Amino acid sequence: MSLEFDATLTLGAFTCEASLKANDEILVLFGHSGAGKSVTLQAIAGLMQPVRGRIDINGQAVFDSARGVNVPPQGRAVGYVVQDLALFPQMSVGQNIAFGMPRGAGQSRRQRVERLLAALQLEGYGDRRPGSLSGGQQQRVALARALARDASLLLLDEPFSALDESLRAGLRRELLRLRAERGLTIVFVTHDLREAHLLADRLAVFDAGRVLQCDARESVFRHPASRRVAELTGVANIFEGTVRGIDSGAPVVDVRGLTLRCAPPAMGTGPRPGEAVDICIRAERVVLHRGEPRDHTAVNLLEAAIVEDLAYGATHTLRLTPTGAGPALEVELAARPYEVMGVAGRQTWTVELPPADLHVMARRTPGD
Amino acid sequence: MSWNRHVPGLSGPRLDRTAKTTVAFLAIVVALFFVLPFVGLAQRAVENGGFWDLATHRQTREALWLSLWTSTTTATLAAVFGTPLAYALSRSRFPGKVVVDGLVDLPIVLPPTVAGVALLTAFGRRGLLGEPIDSLTGYTFGFSTTAVIMAQMLVSAPFFFRAARSGFDAIDPQIERVAYTLGASRTRTFLRITLPQAWPALLAGIVLCWARSMGELGATLIFAGNLEGKTQTMPLAIIEAFSGSALGLDGAIVLSLILLGVALAVLTLFRAVAARGLRQP
Repeated sequence: MSLEFDATLTLGAFTCEASLKANDEILVLFGHSGAGKSVTLQAIAGLMQPVRGRIDINGQAVFDSARGVNVPPQGRAVGYVVQDLALFPQMSVGQNIAFGMPRGAGQSRRQRVERLLAALQLEGYGDRRPGSLSGGQQQRVALARALARDASLLLLDEPFSALDESLRAGLRRELLRLRAERGLTIVFVTHDLREAHLLADRLAVFDAGRVLQCDARESVFRHPASRRVAELTGVANIFEGTVRGIDSGAPVVDVRGLTLRCAPPAMGTGPRPGEAVDICIRAERVVLHRGEPRDHTAVNLLEAAIVEDLAYGATHTLRLTPTGAGPALEVELAARPYEVMGVAGRQTWTVELPPADLHVMARRTPGD
Repeated sequence: MSWNRHVPGLSGPRLDRTAKTTVAFLAIVVALFFVLPFVGLAQRAVENGGFWDLATHRQTREALWLSLWTSTTTATLAAVFGTPLAYALSRSRFPGKVVVDGLVDLPIVLPPTVAGVALLTAFGRRGLLGEPIDSLTGYTFGFSTTAVIMAQMLVSAPFFFRAARSGFDAIDPQIERVAYTLGASRTRTFLRITLPQAWPALLAGIVLCWARSMGELGATLIFAGNLEGKTQTMPLAIIEAFSGSALGLDGAIVLSLILLGVALAVLTLFRAVAARGLRQP
């Protein structure tokens, strides 16, 4: 199952322009609320008509402004699940699931409902009303109902965000299992970064009605296309710098008087000497050493003092100010290494910024 | 909630002695004012006697029958025409929607006599549409049962429309969108998903519309006239009894009691049906 989307949507004064692709994988649309994720999903489902563009499902155009094609939602064979579930309250769970089933064809509807109930761990709930089920169970009913149409493209609009974290974790696992079992293509909308990271094979970052980057998950997280993508995907350390030179393909960047050696660019030409760039590193990628590191080939070292230590339980977030040249840094450390290293008992550390984790981005002027 | 009654620190604001006395006094005054008239009605009917004779009098029977079937027709027509329109208005967005909403409510606050006069100017023998119809076909609305239904319609239909509109407003449009993605056509979605959920509101609207039609007086009197057997509904028969018809003042009391009985029966039935509807989902 494949999806290709390239369309412009307008909603009042709001315009959203998106270009997306998904192929037998989970595509996560990530961004703040109002960034255009939900309208994009509605356009795929056929609930909203783009002003121009083209949407292909499985190579078949379901919308094409150039040829005047616009297949109504009834004919698109997609499963659509929304945050408030929209279960039919006056019907039983079984009737809800059977609602979208194609008539006749092979197995009886009853058997197919039973199989879906079993697949979503809802055995015995078929005759209950949705209102008498827990939030997590209702969510499973909504998923079962969407799957009942034999849709292999599933559109999920923040389906778990109304649930407790503990329930969410279970449902995410379930979704991954269903996807593996049934070979589903899923488009998943979320504003939760952790959820996006867990589920995404491919990640599209939305901001103010535009897709800033749509790429494999690791590419987006490790090589954000711009400062804004880095900000949105939770990169804590983003600095402005100037390229001093290129050393065997690897840029050497000056940041507040500190010289940082970076890895050669993964693709493209990379920056030119003298160019102003943004350079970033995720907080969990920064390494702390007591004094001089044992590995003498280590580069990008600076001395810095801890000025703030926030304990989140599983992790600690430290803020460090350099004693000499260099930028202020945020470092994230898991609870165990934090204790083993005795971070609490020492203020000044040698900080290492590994070249492989430093990412250089072209500086864009606003509106570019 | 009962547990916190035993925990003094947690109990909500309580009424003190003075407040309780005040409330009791107000309750008694209000109860007397609202209950006494009905007691008076019953008491007079018993005192006068001859209830059965007056209740089965030809004029009473005709008025009651006319009231029942015109009101039922009005409520049915309001539901048939009003349901799709209320749904359309609930789901559409267009400039000037606020104005349309206001106009729909206008007859609710309009004095019925004004409605009657307005109907005359439109459908009366000299009316905007009444005159050409009269000169072309010789048909006039005046003094016909059709006019009774028209008068009831103008005054009561907005009660149904309002109830239906808020019933449809209360349904999450998202639920209909999901039904579309499940392959259901607009018609199937409306019949299987929307209508069953809006049903209690529609029923309430029908009852309100019907009850308002049963009590309609002013517009009917002006537009349809007061013609025994043709346009004389129960309220008109009561008015005429006061001005000295065959039924007399005693008749007015009996007619009133019958209307009161019908109103109580409908209210009870509606409550029962609505309660069942609420329990079901």
